[in-house]
Amino acid sequence: MNGRRVLVVDDEPEIQRFLRFALTAAGYEPISAETAAEALRAIVSKAPDAVVLDLGLPDRDGKDVLRDIRAFSRIPVVVLSARDRETEKIAALDLGADDYVEKPFGIGEFMARLRTALRHAAPGAPRTNKFDIDGLIIDTERRLVSRDGVSVKVTPKEYDLLIALVRHTGRVVTHRQILNEVWGPAHADDTQYLRVFIGQLRAKIERDASAPTIILTEPGVGYRIVENGK
Amino acid sequence: MAPPLRQRDGRPDPDALLAQTQRESRGRLKVFLGAAPGVGKTYSMLQNARRVQADGVDVVIGLVETHGRAETLALVDGLEILPRRRMEYRGRTIEEFDLDAALVRKPTLLVLDELAHTNAPDSRHPKRWRDVEELLDAGIDVWTALNIQHLESLADVVSRITGIVVRETVPDKVLQDADAVVLVDITPDELIARLHEGKVYVPEVARRATAQFFTPGNLTALRELALRRTADRVDDQMVDYLRRKAIEGPWAASERLLACIAADESAERVVRRASQLATSLNAGWIAAHIERRGEIADATKAECVRAALDLAERLGGEVKHVAGPDLVEEVLRLARRENITQIIVGGPRRNFGHRLFRRSFPKALAQAADQFEIHFVPTQEATPRPRRTIAGLLGRGAALEYAVAALAVVVAVVIGEALTGILRLPNLSMIFLSAVLFCAVRYGVRAAVVASFLSFLAYNFFFIEPIYTFTIAEPHELLALLVFLAVAVLTGSLAGRIRDQREGVIKSAAVTQSLYDFSRKISGAASADDVLWAAAAHLHATLGHQIILLVVAGDDLSLQAAWPPDVQLDAAETSAARWAQQKGEPAGWATGTLPRIRFQFRPLRTTRGVVAVCGFEPPDATGALSADDERALSAVLGQTAIALDRALLAREAIRASSLEENEKVRDALLASLSHDLRTPLSSIAGAASSLRDLGAKMSETERAELLLSIEEETGRLSRFVSNLLDMSRIEAGGLKVRRDWVDVADVVRAGVERCRKAFPHAKIRISLAPDLPFVRGDARLLEQVLFNLLDNAQKYGGEGETAVHARREGADVVVSVTDDGPGVKLGDLERIFEKFYRGGRADGRKAGTGLGLSICRGLVESMGGTILAQSPAARRRGTRILVRLPASEPPLLGGAGS
Repeated sequence: MNGRRVLVVDDEPEIQRFLRFALTAAGYEPISAETAAEALRAIVSKAPDAVVLDLGLPDRDGKDVLRDIRAFSRIPVVVLSARDRETEKIAALDLGADDYVEKPFGIGEFMARLRTALRHAAPGAPRTNKFDIDGLIIDTERRLVSRDGVSVKVTPKEYDLLIALVRHTGRVVTHRQILNEVWGPAHADDTQYLRVFIGQLRAKIERDASAPTIILTEPGVGYRIVENGK
Repeated sequence: MAPPLRQRDGRPDPDALLAQTQRESRGRLKVFLGAAPGVGKTYSMLQNARRVQADGVDVVIGLVETHGRAETLALVDGLEILPRRRMEYRGRTIEEFDLDAALVRKPTLLVLDELAHTNAPDSRHPKRWRDVEELLDAGIDVWTALNIQHLESLADVVSRITGIVVRETVPDKVLQDADAVVLVDITPDELIARLHEGKVYVPEVARRATAQFFTPGNLTALRELALRRTADRVDDQMVDYLRRKAIEGPWAASERLLACIAADESAERVVRRASQLATSLNAGWIAAHIERRGEIADATKAECVRAALDLAERLGGEVKHVAGPDLVEEVLRLARRENITQIIVGGPRRNFGHRLFRRSFPKALAQAADQFEIHFVPTQEATPRPRRTIAGLLGRGAALEYAVAALAVVVAVVIGEALTGILRLPNLSMIFLSAVLFCAVRYGVRAAVVASFLSFLAYNFFFIEPIYTFTIAEPHELLALLVFLAVAVLTGSLAGRIRDQREGVIKSAAVTQSLYDFSRKISGAASADDVLWAAAAHLHATLGHQIILLVVAGDDLSLQAAWPPDVQLDAAETSAARWAQQKGEPAGWATGTLPRIRFQFRPLRTTRGVVAVCGFEPPDATGALSADDERALSAVLGQTAIALDRALLAREAIRASSLEENEKVRDALLASLSHDLRTPLSSIAGAASSLRDLGAKMSETERAELLLSIEEETGRLSRFVSNLLDMSRIEAGGLKVRRDWVDVADVVRAGVERCRKAFPHAKIRISLAPDLPFVRGDARLLEQVLFNLLDNAQKYGGEGETAVHARREGADVVVSVTDDGPGVKLGDLERIFEKFYRGGRADGRKAGTGLGLSICRGLVESMGGTILAQSPAARRRGTRILVRLPASEPPLLGGAGS
C-alpha cells in the first residue's frame, strides 16, 4: 500500500503541516488543498487514492464538496469533523463518505481509519464468505454464526443486521443506512427498532453485552464493527 | 332583548361568578347607613372596628369626626389614627383625610367617616367616595358611614320632603357595589330626644335649619327611605346569591333603559327618573345626549347637558352622545343596538314658538317607537328659573342679527319709497320678502323672523293707506298684510332652516374631511413617533389648544409629542395623566379626578391595554366639550390608538426578526467558536501524536517544525482563552481596573512589541506626538487594547502597513490604529464592536473570534474613554480605530519640575 496518494483538504496550515509529515512518515504521498475548488481540481488532475476532507472549508460547505466528488468518483473519503456536529457527520456519511474522524484526533486513529477506507475501496479485495472478528465467526454461505466455536442462534433479522455491519467492518454505518438495508426505506427513521435488535444481537455475540467489544456504538451516528486486531 | 341571565342547565351564571372574582382582589366596602345625623353610625362603626381589632385585624382610622363627644372619643382610644393632611386654603387651615398616607400604610381595614364629604379644592379627588374607590382598588377594606339623604338618586326626594337642599351627594353605584350595608337605626322619637340632650352634633350655623329638619315627620320619611334602600340591597344580594349558586329563581329578565337627554331643563329630571326606574327594575341604563346635527348649542344649554350627563354617570348610568339629522331615527338605532327595552324622555312641551313648525321630538318618538315602552317625564320646573333677560335674548351675536334685520328692512323701505316715486306699484311686499329672505339666508331663522315682523310693521307704516300710521283703511289691505306676514315668517324660517342645516352639513363635512385627512396622514406614518406627532398636530387644529401625548413605557409615562411643542406638566397634571393610564379612564378637567387642573387626560386603549395618554386643554374651560368636539376627539384618539398599536406591533415584529437573526448569528458563532478552539487543539494533538508514533521516521527538521507548531498553537489557544475570559469578566462586571497614571507612549511601544512577536512579518509604523500627556487607567489593560487592535489589523488588514499614531486632542489623548485592508462597510462600523461580530478577512475567510473589538470597547469604556471606527481611512481603503482617553496630569512630585 506504500506510495498511495492522499489528498488532504483543510484550510488550517498547522493541520496540513503535521498531516503532511505524518503521512510521509507512514509511507503515503500527501498532497494538499485548502479550498473546495482546489480539492476538486486536485482529485481530477492528480488522481489521489483517498481524500481526507475537512467539513469546515472557507469557500464551500464540505458536504457539497462531497456530493460533487461522489458525482464522478468512488474514491474513499474520510471526513474530519467536530465532535458535537452529529448531523453534519451523518449527512456526510449518508452522502457517501467512507468514515469520519473527530477533531481533535490522534494520528493513530486517523491512520487506522484511512487504512480501512483504502482497503474497502481496493478493487482487488477478495470477496470473502467467512468473517472472523475476534473469535466471532460468520459464515455467509451457510448463514451460520458462532462465538468461540460455540454456535449462536440468531433470528433472520438479527443475521441481516449483523451482515449489514460486517460488510463494512471497521467503518461506521449510520442508523439510516442500516435501517434502509435491513428493514427497507420505509423504516429509515425508526431507530428504536435498531436499538432493540442491536441489544439482542449483543446479548448473543458479545462476551459481555454491557461492555461490547465487537459492535461499537458511535453515539448519535450509528454503529461500527471493530476490525480484527484492534 | 337580551336573554335572561339564568342558565337553563343549572350551572352558575358566569357573569355572576366573574363579578365575584373581580371583587376578590379588591378591598371590601362596608357602609354604615343611617336615616339622619345622630343615629350613631360613627359609634357603631368604631365599636365594630374595636371588635375586629381584638380579633387581630390591622385596623387604622383614616378619619373620624368625634365632635368632642366623650363616648366616641373613648372608642377611638387605642386604635391607630392616621395623621391628617393640613393645607392652607384662602387663609384658613383645613385638615383633610390623607389618602396617600393611607395607601402607603395599607392597613387591612380603614375606617373613614362621612362618605359624602367634599374634599378641599386641591385634593386628588373632589369627593371622598372617590378616595374610597381608590382605597378599594388598592385592596384595602373600607368601613364608612353615610346618611340616606346624601344618596344621589334620593337627593331630590329628600329635598322635597325636608325642604333642605342636599349638596353633598354620593352616587348610588357606590352603595350598590358595597359588599355590606349595615343599617344603623333608632326611632325618630329617640333621635329627637338625643338631639335635645345635646348628643347630636350640630354646627352652630345650622341650628335653625336643624329644628326644621329634625321633625318626627321628616325623620320617619327618611327612616323609611333608609330601611327601604337596605331592603332593596338585601334583595339584590339574594338574587346575586341565587345566580351564583345556580339556584333557579324568579329574578327579573334583564331590562335596559335609555334616557334621552335634551338640552333643556328636563334633562336632570329625566336622568333622575331613569335612575330610579333602573334601580327598581334592577336594570342597566344609558343616558344619551340627543343633538340635532349642526344645531349650535349655546353655553347655558351645553352646561345643562353636561350637568345632566355628569349626574347620570354618578347615578351609575352609561353616557353616550347621539347626533344626526333625524333624532328619532338615531335614538331608535341606538335603542336597538343596545337592546333597550324602555325609553325615558322629557314630555312634550307647549308654548315654544320656534317649535311651531316642527313636530315635537317626544311625540315623533312615541309614534315611531312601537316596540319600546316609553316614559314621559313631566317637564314642569322643580325650582323656578329666572326668566330670560333682555341680555339673554340678545345673546352673543343676536344683537348683530337684529341690527341686520332692521337694516334690511330700512333698505327695503328706501327702495320701496324710491320705486313708488318713479312708478306707482300696487304691491311692494316682494321687496320686503326679499329683505326677509336675505336675513334668513345670511343670518338664520331668528333674523328672518325678526325681519318678518319689522317688515310687517314698516310695510304697514310706510306704504299702506293711510301712510305713516299703523292703521289700515281697507279691510283687504289688512288681509294682504296678514298673508304677507304669514308668508314672510314661513319662507323666512324655511330659508333660515335650510341655511342652518347647510352650516351644519358644512361643519360636519369639514369634520369628516379633517378626520379623513388625519387617517390618511397616520396610515402613512410608520413609527409610533410619527403617529403621535400627527395626532398632536391634528388635535391642536381641531380643539385649538395645548395637546400633549404621553406614551406608556414600562410603568412610566413619557412625554412623546405635544403641540405647541414646549410644555411642562406640573405634579398634579402628571398624577392625573398617570391616573388615566392606570385606571384607563379620563382624569383631570371636568372629570371626577383632579378636576381643577388645566388638562383633561384620556387613555388610548388597544387590545394590549392603555398604550398612551392624551392630554388636551379644553377650548372653553368653564363650559363643556361640544358634541362635535367630543366626537372628533374620540374619533381621533381611537384612530391614534389603532395606529399606535400597529406601529408598536411593527416595531415588535422587527425586534422579533432581529432576535431571530441574532439566534442565527449565535448558532454560527457557536460553530465558529468550537472551530476556533478545536483547530489549535487538533494541530497540537495531531502533531504530538505524529511525533510519538511516527517521529522515528521523520527528519530532524520535520520534528523541529512539528514541535514549533505545537508551541505556536498553544500560544494561539491561550490568547483565545484569555480573550474569552476577559470578555466574561467585563460582562460580569468583575474586571478590576486600576487607575494609575499611564504613559501612553510606553503602552503603545509595548503593544507593538507584543504584536511583532505574535506576527513576525507584521509591518507596523509608529508615530507618537511629543509631550503626550498621561491618562488615568490600567497600563496592562490598555496594552491589551492596543494588542487586540494590532491583532485585528494583521488579520483583516492584509499585507499592507499598519500605522499606530498617538496625539493630544484638546483634553483627550487619541490613539489610532490604521490598517490598509479593504475597510469596513459603513453600516458595520458600529457592529464591529458587538460581541462575536466577525468581519471578512482579506482573503475572504472568516477569522478571529469576534471578541477582540468588543473587549477593547469594554476596557476603554471602563477607563472612561471611547472607541470608534472610521472607514475608509485613506484613499478608499483601510480601517481606522480611534481610542480616545481623557488626559490627566499627575500631581507633581515634591514640587519638582514645572
